[in-house]
Amino acid sequence: MHQLWIIVIKEIKIAIREKLVLILASTIVMLIAVALYAGYLSYQQQRSIIVKTKAEKRQEWLNQGDKHPHIAAHYGTFVFKPKTALSSFDFGLDAYNGTSIYLEAHYQHEFMFRPAQDHSSMIRFGELSSALVLKVLVPLLIIFLTFTSYTQERESGTLKLLVSQGIALSRITWGKILAYCSIMTVILSPFFLGMLLLSTISVQQESIPDMTTRATLMILLYGVYLFLFIAFSVWVSQRSSSGRNALLTLLSCWMLLVILMPKTVANLSESFYSLPSMREFKATIEKDKIDGIDGKQPRSEYLAKLRKQYLEKYEVDSVQQLPFNYEGVSMQAGEEYGNTIYDHHMDKLQKIFESQNQLVSISSMFNPFLSVQNLSMALAGTDMYTFKHFEDVVEKYRRELVRRMNRDMAENSKYGDFYGYEAGIDLWQEIEDFSYRTPTAQEVLRNYRVELTSLLLWMSLIIWLIIGFKGNIKPIDG
Amino acid sequence: MLQAINLTKRFGAFTAVDALNLSVKSGEIYCLLGANGAGKSTTINLFLNFIAPTSGTARIKSMDVTDQKAQTKQLLSYIPENLMLYPNLTGWENLDFFCGLGGKDYSKDQLEQLLKESGLQPDFIHQRVSSYSKGMRQKVGIALALAREAEVLLLDEPTSGLDPKASNEFSELLLEMKEKGVATLMATHDLFRAKDTGTHIGIMKEGKLIEQFTSGEVSFRDLEHTYLRLNYNA
Repeated sequence: MHQLWIIVIKEIKIAIREKLVLILASTIVMLIAVALYAGYLSYQQQRSIIVKTKAEKRQEWLNQGDKHPHIAAHYGTFVFKPKTALSSFDFGLDAYNGTSIYLEAHYQHEFMFRPAQDHSSMIRFGELSSALVLKVLVPLLIIFLTFTSYTQERESGTLKLLVSQGIALSRITWGKILAYCSIMTVILSPFFLGMLLLSTISVQQESIPDMTTRATLMILLYGVYLFLFIAFSVWVSQRSSSGRNALLTLLSCWMLLVILMPKTVANLSESFYSLPSMREFKATIEKDKIDGIDGKQPRSEYLAKLRKQYLEKYEVDSVQQLPFNYEGVSMQAGEEYGNTIYDHHMDKLQKIFESQNQLVSISSMFNPFLSVQNLSMALAGTDMYTFKHFEDVVEKYRRELVRRMNRDMAENSKYGDFYGYEAGIDLWQEIEDFSYRTPTAQEVLRNYRVELTSLLLWMSLIIWLIIGFKGNIKPIDG
Repeated sequence: MLQAINLTKRFGAFTAVDALNLSVKSGEIYCLLGANGAGKSTTINLFLNFIAPTSGTARIKSMDVTDQKAQTKQLLSYIPENLMLYPNLTGWENLDFFCGLGGKDYSKDQLEQLLKESGLQPDFIHQRVSSYSKGMRQKVGIALALAREAEVLLLDEPTSGLDPKASNEFSELLLEMKEKGVATLMATHDLFRAKDTGTHIGIMKEGKLIEQFTSGEVSFRDLEHTYLRLNYNA
C-alpha cells in the first residue's frame, strides 16, 4: 500500500509539472464552467417562464368566466413539465420533446417549446452541455494525459529501473490509475461540488423528490465512466510499443465509442424500427376515430349502439326523456372512444420507441458511453421514460378534466339546450391545478438494468485486464 | 553472491547466452568484456529477471531470480548504460521516490548526504534531472545503490559516454562499494576501466564465456592483446 501511494504521489507531481496537462485541464474546467453556467441560465430562464406562465394559465382557467362546460373543455389549458436543476447539466431529450402541452377535449396535442425546433439538425451533436463535455471531451483530456503513462517509462528506461526495484507491474499500473483519478477528481471537484450544491438548494424539490440522491448517483456515474477511461488508457499505454501507437489506438477507440457507434446505433435503430411521421400518425388516428380500429366499429355505429343501450336501460323512446342530458354522456362516450383509438396507436408507437431503445440498451453492452448517456439522462430527469411518465400523467389529467366537464354537462344541462347552460368558477375550481412529481431515481433506473449491468461488466473487464491479464509485458524491448 | 549456472538464453535460432557459468562473491567486481552482441547485456537482464532464461539458472544469494523475484530484487541495485530518471523531478525527489519504493525511509538530510557522497554537486541536488548530465544521473544511480544498501550491483556499460573525470569518479565509487562488500557484475567495453576497477574479468564471445581471470593475473597490455585476439583474431 505504501508503495502504491509513493507511485501515486510521484505521478501527480510529474503531471502537475507538465505544462500541457495544466493547459488541457484549464480548458476543460473552463468549458464545463461555461456549459454549466449556460445550462443554469437556460434552466433559470425556462423555469421562470414556466412558473410565470403556469400561474397565468391557471388564472386564465379560473377566470374564464361563465360558459358551457364543453366550451371550457375546448378552451383548455396548458401544463408544463417542471425543469429539474439537473437538466441544466444534461439537457437530454428536453430540447427535442418540449416542456409544455396544450390540453383540450378530443385532442391529444403534441408538446411545444422544443428548443431544437429553432435550430438546425447540427444541434443534435453540437449543443454544449456539461454532460457533453464530461462524456465526450474529458475522455480526450484523459487520453492526452495518460497515453504516455507507460510508453514514456519504457522508452526512457525508467520502467526498467522501477521493475529492477522489485515493484510488480500491476502495482505500478494501479498507482498510475489512482494518480490520474486523483488528478481528475481535483480538476472536476468544483464542478461536482457545484452540482451537488445546486441540487441541494434547488427549489424544485416538489417535482423531484430525490434531487440529492440523483446528484450523488450522477457524480458516481461519471466517476465510474471516467475511471473506465483512465484505466483503459493506462492499460493501452502499458500494452503499446510506443507513445504514438498508444495515442493512435486510444483516439481510434474514442472515435468509435464516443462518435461513430452512438450515431450508427441511433441510425440503425431508426432503420430497423421506423417511426411514422407526425402527420401520418395523426391522420391515422383521425381516420380511425371515424372508422374504428381496422374499420371494425365505426364511431357512428358505436354511438348509435350506446344510444340504444341507454334508451333500453331507462325504457324511454327518446334521449330527451332521459333524466339527464344525454349530450354529456354522448360526448364522454365519444371522448372515451377517441381515447381508445389514441391509446391503441400510442401503444404501437411506444413499442417502436421501446424497440429502438432496446437496441441502444443492448449496444451499451459493447459501449459504456451509451450506458452513461442513457443513465445520465435518466438521473437528470430528461430521458424517454421520465418523459413518457409525464405524458401519461398529463393525459390522465386531461381525461379527468374532460370527464368532469362532460359529467357537469350531463347532470346540469338539458338536451338540445347547448347555449342555455353555463357553468362558473365553482366548476373550474374543482379541477385541481396540474402538479407533477417525477418518479424516484430508483423507479427510473429500473428501466436501465441493461445499462447498469453493462457498466458493471465493463468495470470487471477493466479490473481483470489490469489484475488478471497475463500478457507478454516487458520492461525492455526485444 | 551472484551465480550463473549453465545459463542459456536463445531468441529463436540465435543463442545470446550459451551455457554461462560464473560467480561473483561479496566484495568482488566482475567485469564482463566483449564486443557488441557478445551477450553481456543479456546476462545482466537475466540476473534482473527482465527476461527468462531458456535453460540454466541465475542466482543471487543462492536464490533463483525467476522463482524468488521480489526477494532477489530487494538485494540488488541496477545502473544501466544511460540511467534515465524522471526528468521533471529533482535528483533528490528521484532518490526519495526509489528509496520509498524499496521501503527505505530516509530523512531529507540523509538523502542529501547520500547524493553528496555519490559525488553529485550540492547545487544540483534540488534541481530537476532534466538539467543533469549523464554522469550526474549515474551518480544518482550510485546514491540509490548506497541508499538501498544493495548487496549486489548490476551495471550495464555504466561509464559509456562519460568523460574521463566522471568515469574516474564513478570507478572510485565502485571501489568504495566493493569495500562495503557489495558484489558487482559490470558489463563494459572499457578495458582500462575493467583492469583498473575490476577484481575479476571475463571475456564473452557469441554468448560464451571464453576466458576469465583475476585482474591481478594480467597486465593491461596482456588484457588488450587477449581481448583483441579472442574477438578479432588480431
